[in-house]
Amino acid sequence: MASRKEAPSGKSLDSPVRQIQIEGLVRPHHQALQGSEVVQGVLLGLVVEDRLEITNCFPFPQHTEDDADFDEVQYQMEMMRSLRHVNIDHLHVGWYQSTFYGSFVSRALLDSQFSYQHAIEESVVLIYDPIKTAQGSLCLKAYRLTPKLMEICREKDFSADGLKKASVGYENMFEEVPIVIKNSHLINVLLWELEDKSTAADKHELLNLSSSTHLEKSLQMLMDRVDEMSQDIVKYNNYCRSLSKQQQQKHQYIQRRQQENAQRQSRGEPPLPEEDLSKMFKPPQPPPRMDTLLIASQLSTYCQTIKEFTSQNLGKLFMAEALQGTSSYS
Amino acid sequence: MSRFFATGSDSESEESSSADEITPKATGTTFNKNKEAFTPNLILCCPLRFRFEELTNIIKTIRNAMKIRDMSKCLEEFEQLYRAFLKSKTIVDKEGVPQFYIRLLADLEDYLNQLWEDKEGKKKMNKNNAKALSTLRQKIRKYNKDFETEIASYKEVLNSSTNVISLCRCQDEESESDDDEDSEDWGSDSVDSGGESEDNEGAAASLAVVFLKKAQDGDKQHEPKKDGRRKRHKKIEQVEEEVDEDGEAEEGGWEKVKGGVPLVKEKPKMFAKGTEINSAVVIKKLTEILQARGKKGTDRAAQIELLHALSGISNENNLGQGILVKIKFNIIASLYDYNTNLAAFMKPEMWKKCLECIDELLDILFENNNIFIGENIAEDSENLAISDQPFRVRGCILTLVERMDEEFTKIMQNTDPHSQEYVDNLKDEGRVCGIIDRLLQYLESKGSTEEVCRIYLRRIMHTYYKFDYKAHRRSLGLQGETKSEQDQEESEGEDSAIIMDRLCKFIYAKDRTDRIRTCAILCHIYHHALHSRWYQARDLMLMSHLQDNIQHADPPVQILYNRTMVQLGICAFRQGMIKDAHNALLDIQSSGRAKELLGQGLLMRNMQERNAEQEKIEKRRQVPFHMHINLELLECVYLVSAMLLEIPYMAAHEFDARRRMISKQFHHQLRVGERQPLLGPPESMREHVVAASKAMKMGDWRTCHSFIINEKMNSKVWDLFPETQCVREMLVRKIQEESLRTYLFTYSSVYDSISMETLSEMFELELPTVHSIISKMIINEELMASLDQPTQTVVMHRTEPTSLQNMALQLAEKLGGLVENNERVFDLKQGVYGGYFNRDQKGGYQQKQNYQRGGYRNQNQSSY
Repeated sequence: MASRKEAPSGKSLDSPVRQIQIEGLVRPHHQALQGSEVVQGVLLGLVVEDRLEITNCFPFPQHTEDDADFDEVQYQMEMMRSLRHVNIDHLHVGWYQSTFYGSFVSRALLDSQFSYQHAIEESVVLIYDPIKTAQGSLCLKAYRLTPKLMEICREKDFSADGLKKASVGYENMFEEVPIVIKNSHLINVLLWELEDKSTAADKHELLNLSSSTHLEKSLQMLMDRVDEMSQDIVKYNNYCRSLSKQQQQKHQYIQRRQQENAQRQSRGEPPLPEEDLSKMFKPPQPPPRMDTLLIASQLSTYCQTIKEFTSQNLGKLFMAEALQGTSSYS
Repeated sequence: MSRFFATGSDSESEESSSADEITPKATGTTFNKNKEAFTPNLILCCPLRFRFEELTNIIKTIRNAMKIRDMSKCLEEFEQLYRAFLKSKTIVDKEGVPQFYIRLLADLEDYLNQLWEDKEGKKKMNKNNAKALSTLRQKIRKYNKDFETEIASYKEVLNSSTNVISLCRCQDEESESDDDEDSEDWGSDSVDSGGESEDNEGAAASLAVVFLKKAQDGDKQHEPKKDGRRKRHKKIEQVEEEVDEDGEAEEGGWEKVKGGVPLVKEKPKMFAKGTEINSAVVIKKLTEILQARGKKGTDRAAQIELLHALSGISNENNLGQGILVKIKFNIIASLYDYNTNLAAFMKPEMWKKCLECIDELLDILFENNNIFIGENIAEDSENLAISDQPFRVRGCILTLVERMDEEFTKIMQNTDPHSQEYVDNLKDEGRVCGIIDRLLQYLESKGSTEEVCRIYLRRIMHTYYKFDYKAHRRSLGLQGETKSEQDQEESEGEDSAIIMDRLCKFIYAKDRTDRIRTCAILCHIYHHALHSRWYQARDLMLMSHLQDNIQHADPPVQILYNRTMVQLGICAFRQGMIKDAHNALLDIQSSGRAKELLGQGLLMRNMQERNAEQEKIEKRRQVPFHMHINLELLECVYLVSAMLLEIPYMAAHEFDARRRMISKQFHHQLRVGERQPLLGPPESMREHVVAASKAMKMGDWRTCHSFIINEKMNSKVWDLFPETQCVREMLVRKIQEESLRTYLFTYSSVYDSISMETLSEMFELELPTVHSIISKMIINEELMASLDQPTQTVVMHRTEPTSLQNMALQLAEKLGGLVENNERVFDLKQGVYGGYFNRDQKGGYQQKQNYQRGGYRNQNQSSY
């Protein structure tokens, strides 16, 4: 378990932060983590060269609708001041959010990450999947918005053309920042000790094919997103069609006008006055494309998780088969 | 009294009461004085009364106008009064100027002078009024010069009466009074009492005055009347003359007079006494009466009376049947005419009279074979009188009877269906049917085929919706002995089925108008369906091809069609053909407008969409209450059949993404049921069905049964069927079978094998039935199982995909849709329609998919 450190990938990222180092102490500790409720919190730490070290965190309080006048900013400031008093890093370096079966790509996330990144350039969002972690595989990912997306968000140009011009696809909306987990020596010692103590039965858990419910859930959500995607596409399709129809009308109109003017000219009459074409043919409202992009991105994350899950399971199956084979032969 | 306030005379209420007091006093005197001259001649007083009424009416409006200081109105009315007074000059010459006239003139003058002096008030008046005031003042000054003496005397009386009043109070009613006054007073008094009846105190006395006035009047007009008699003219003509004398030489004096004259007085003046009444005279009279028909001032009630009297006279004088028939025709026609408004319905007495008349007419027609009637006989080729030749009369009895039938429908439409009155009116149905029957017999012998078709249709219309209880009983057999005499008599008649068959077949063969045939077919089907002859009804419906073109028919026929479809559906349900029942009822029920489509009431929500005119038309289309189809029964039948179809279907296609609904309405009801936060025991019919559906979903047929068939549902729905018991047995059976199917669909995945015996015990079905149901399911590939004969068990194959697999399939389908949509966007971008994949390939893609799925299944099966 000590080998949980992930090797920094060689991929060069053009952001000021190339690597994130997380102290083992940093664990989002919420009671509500098991539920499907989304919890959020603040990450604290500091930037060392091109490495972002996250050394502490605290959650946003779960406040119900009863105390609507709760001031979150006030709370954060208070919290950071208190932490500063006990000599803990108090620099705001990002935020974290829990996720439910890997569904986190949403408009809200985009917006808040944008505002974070806008204010604090090096901030990241840490996505943590408590359910998957409980099943034995730590799921902790750090994301940042790509500079291109930042650009678009800054200009708030979510039209199809704008996105096309910026060449932002679902693949390059977010960039994942590699994470390194660094534990203190004491913790490492504890982990070693725990590993020694754990029984063989616990280790065999490794081969447990986690129930298909996970897969079902993922499929379910994947399906929902696909539905949304379909709807969006239909909407876009309609838009395109109406746009082209209007273009045709406009074209016809202009042609007719030209013909008429030519006739008039031949008769020596003054040409018809120019009319405001944009008023006559109001272009239809283009559907926002950002949502579609987000959905696509979400779909790809789902696919990623499902792929991971299935490949793991397949590996386990082969392992199990091999084990069975040896046992039956022996 | 109040009008004296308005006149502005200085005397207070004391004085006004004195004006009332004059009445009794005056009447007393006149009564005594003219006692010996009391010879009532009612007709002759009429012109006078008529004239004076006109005058008093105008005076009344003038006084009102005075009260509200409306000078222009005053002026207008005064001019009218002036003209009216000129018209009644003759009478005035005889009688002298009536007192009330003088009174008005005096009051008006006083009033105007007063206004004139009131400078302040005059300024406030608007222009029109001020102008009118000045003109009126000038006019009245000029005009009053002619009546100077009268006005003066009136004023004198007015003043003296203030003194007299105390005396009057204590005086006896019959006490004598100054003779010089009374001769003038009578006019005003009597008219007052007649027109305004203000004189409460002297009501009795003034009544007497009316009489007296007439008496006196009669006395005075005695001479001219005698002249009239001498001339041996009809009295009526004399009246006309008199009216002409009165200066009213406008149009048709005949009607005018009648308008004013009470009805009772009409009769004697039909023919002058001694006139030799022969057919020519009567015909002339008849045409005379008929000419007034439809004219504006005609009193329709009076016309009917006249015609009746005429028929009486012709009957008395034995003028022959021809004339009588002619008159009867006209009486009936004018009875129909009585209501000018199309929406209004006949009054009961009119209706009774109409029925009687038609009955009598038919009597005559039956008795006399030599009367020809027809609408194409021209007026002048009629032969009414000459009895040695056959009579020829213009008129169409069929139309009259048809109209009568319509009137009957109208009466039924306009009666509150839950009242005793409705029942009473409905009793007339028997008579209507009787008349139609008689006419049918008559026309069968005399009429053309078209007419026969029409009357047949009428007969059919009165038959098709009635359940033939005696035939039903007879078909059940042997109860005939115990029946009462009356019932036996009833059962002697022809079966309605046979009648319907005969009549309809005649129409099918002979009719040339499409509408009658269509109606006949629909009625025939309805009748078949009502009597549970499902196959005949269905075949007729299919053969007629009505379903294809009924939308081109007029609304009443469409309503009939809807009724027929509903009846057909209910019939199918009774026979246990659930699917047919559902299909037949689907169209009507799914729209949610069953009430409107069946012509059984208007929907409220459409109110804003239609205007009053349309609403009237729609109201006229409504089916009378006694022909209604019970809507709750209809809905229940529909929902139950939907339940029997839908629940197994739902169970079978639980995971099918493309599952379609069989019945939207049923699903709607289910959803409504689910939305209830607290589920109590079912109350309404719908709740019962929903509860039953839920039980059926679990395969619990006993609960389902108890929800569908229980006391409440029996009383609400099932008891409405003639063969209640059969229907209920059928239903139980269906519930058991469908529950079994549902059970197998839902729970087959938890069984490896299941014994058929257990199933037959669970669902209380015989083993062969269970066997057949399961076999059918296996054949239709609804149930992946095989039957193990020796052990009588069903072995499940477990080929149903798991939920994960189902999900994956669904996902695949959705992705397919997504790809297709995407392609479309791409197409648009490329500007090539159908590029990338063209249609065929797309089909191929999907086919491949299907094939794969099938392969998957096959693969699985083969692995077992």
